[in-house]
Amino acid sequence: MSLLLSAENVSVHAGSECLVQPASLALHAGRPLTILGETGSGKSLLAQAIIGTLPSGLTAAGRVQVAGQVFDPGRPSTFRRLWGRQIGILPQEPWLSLDPLMPAAAQVSEGHALVRGLPWDQARAAAAGDLAQLGLAQAGHRRPDQLSGGMAQRAAFAAARAGGARIVIADEPTKGLDAGRRNDISALLLAETAAGGGLLTITHDLALARALSGDLVVVLNGRIVERGPAAQVLADPQHDYTRALIAADPAAWPHPRPRQVAGATVLSASGLSVARGGRVLISGMDIDLRPGHIIGISGPSGCGKSTLGDALLGLVPLAGGTVTRAPGCAAVRFQKLYQDPPSAFPGSVTLGRSLADLVARHRLDKGRIGALLDRLRLSPQLLQRRPSEVSGGELQRMALLRVLLLDPVFLFADEPTSRLDLITQAQVTRLMVDVARDTGMGLLIVSHDTDLLTKVCDRVIRLDDPAQTRAA
Amino acid sequence: MTMSDTTLMPVARHGFGRLRWIGLVLLTLVVGFALLAPVLTFTDPLQQDLMKALAGPDAAAPFGYDHLGRSLMARLAAALRLSLSIAAASVLTAGIVGVGLGVLSAWRGGWIDRTLCLLADSVLALPGLLMVLIVTAIVADRPLAFWIGLTLVLWIEYFRLTRATVARQLAAPGVQASRLLGFGPGYVFRRHLWPDLAPVLLTVAAFGAGTAIMTIAALGFVSVGMRPPAPELGLMMVELLPYYREAPLALFQPVIAIFLTILALNLLAQGGRR
Repeated sequence: MSLLLSAENVSVHAGSECLVQPASLALHAGRPLTILGETGSGKSLLAQAIIGTLPSGLTAAGRVQVAGQVFDPGRPSTFRRLWGRQIGILPQEPWLSLDPLMPAAAQVSEGHALVRGLPWDQARAAAAGDLAQLGLAQAGHRRPDQLSGGMAQRAAFAAARAGGARIVIADEPTKGLDAGRRNDISALLLAETAAGGGLLTITHDLALARALSGDLVVVLNGRIVERGPAAQVLADPQHDYTRALIAADPAAWPHPRPRQVAGATVLSASGLSVARGGRVLISGMDIDLRPGHIIGISGPSGCGKSTLGDALLGLVPLAGGTVTRAPGCAAVRFQKLYQDPPSAFPGSVTLGRSLADLVARHRLDKGRIGALLDRLRLSPQLLQRRPSEVSGGELQRMALLRVLLLDPVFLFADEPTSRLDLITQAQVTRLMVDVARDTGMGLLIVSHDTDLLTKVCDRVIRLDDPAQTRAA
Repeated sequence: MTMSDTTLMPVARHGFGRLRWIGLVLLTLVVGFALLAPVLTFTDPLQQDLMKALAGPDAAAPFGYDHLGRSLMARLAAALRLSLSIAAASVLTAGIVGVGLGVLSAWRGGWIDRTLCLLADSVLALPGLLMVLIVTAIVADRPLAFWIGLTLVLWIEYFRLTRATVARQLAAPGVQASRLLGFGPGYVFRRHLWPDLAPVLLTVAAFGAGTAIMTIAALGFVSVGMRPPAPELGLMMVELLPYYREAPLALFQPVIAIFLTILALNLLAQGGRR
């Protein structure tokens, strides 16, 4: 097992502030190395320092050794000749990094011809070989928009390696993907290491870290808190943070006890059809939601699950069927939580001002804000800040608070935790579910995370499965 | 290629830049002169004294006299008051009309949007000077005609800008959330749309005022604007032009006044540029 890349005491500073504490890593051929951490933990900065792509304004120190040569992270320009030749980078959301107008095979052969220096005919042959190896033999002439997301990812992967890079750096390769696609990616990356290449993955995705196996490094606040073989770290975590992280994974949550839901229906739909852009996505759906009832809707992106929730709230026109609300409930008691909490608040005023506006609009009891802040474990000081100055998890709880002031009978949560880190996600979901149970609010959660839904919902509707779609 | 999910991007600087401050100070000086000059010397801008034709400065007329022996300072101040007030009035009305129609267009969409866009495009196809001229042919009172004509020219920019800016905001979840929470269109405008709109409107207003002042002067210069003996910058230039050998400084005064005013407005229009 040969050493491909080693980093010794690499640290990152912004001026006098230390963002990444000195860290050492070793990447071996055939053994994946995964850096696991949350947003803002410094995991990306550490990787950037190691390959010399730090944004300007940040300085790095330490020593990096690649293929027997020593590099100084303090001088990023010296790394340039490694890029493409020794180190290939699989960027986040690779379908955005491909040239939208160029066929896939041409993009891969450019790497062979311009970086490796092969003559064009050989480069084209090599590209065709690469694509065939990845199961894209028939797709070489297609443009990225004619490829599926998974195929585009494989094409980008082939392009990243075309320069002859033995080391692949994958930056959040599963960001925004559902479970099926995640497995494709880990299989693709593992095939690379099995062939003797090096793989350094940066991720917040526990399932990916588990699937890649190899070595695992856990980063918190710019410091490596735990390291070791992935299987061992994940099975028997030593550091408190790693333990919390693993416990926060929906797969590890306890199963819910089956409950009987009672009470009059708050919202029902029969024969509901939903269309977007003239295309019918869902048809013949029946939903019956009672107080405290939690229904989950899962499905791949683009299947119409968010549009379904909007249709139930009357935000988009129905393509067919009827939606009936409980009689005697004010319209404002049917509410929605958004995927991106900062965009759901007026950005120019403080959160306190937004809540005061709401209290004034509906002549509510101002005193309830304090009680709800306690209930949702939010600090009253957050009310002085604007939405952009508050973390995503806090802001989503603040959005929940804002909605709860109106005593909702129905809440549609549209991917409420998909932008949040694991631990925050667990916290927000728990609070949301508890509040729904306590206050008798009907809750509809839309998510691509099936694990999460099965652990918190009374009933899960899978939209990719036509048999279930019609179930009552 | 980005490798980062960190938030270390440099934050754009808000508020007034240095150039904007210079523009504001210059404009204050020009407006201050226009308003205070009549207080300092009580000269009627129309009062003639042919004995003093093209004479140099004295206590009663610190900037000298024109070819009919009228105080240049008094005339300059009166001309600036006229131009600035017409510019301010038309920018204000054009802003109200343009922003109002822009919000309506983006919000309601459909045939309202199509009709308004067609109207805006049609008006834009007509040269602005011609539009103002047409109105002066219909409305007898010149300042009133300028006001109406310039409003008709200037509202389009507000309309287009507002429509584009507001459409983006209206599609964002924030507006939908506020509507679901029971807030009306007034609240949505005040909290969601206006904060985004206000900084760009200042720029459009400053450019619009510059256009208005230039238009009034241009029409005066070709003798289809204000009528003599009214003091007006373009008219003053064309009246003093035959005497540029005898009194070059007299001709320079309206030129410098218009130059400083437009410069001040253009500097003020500089957005968050560094």
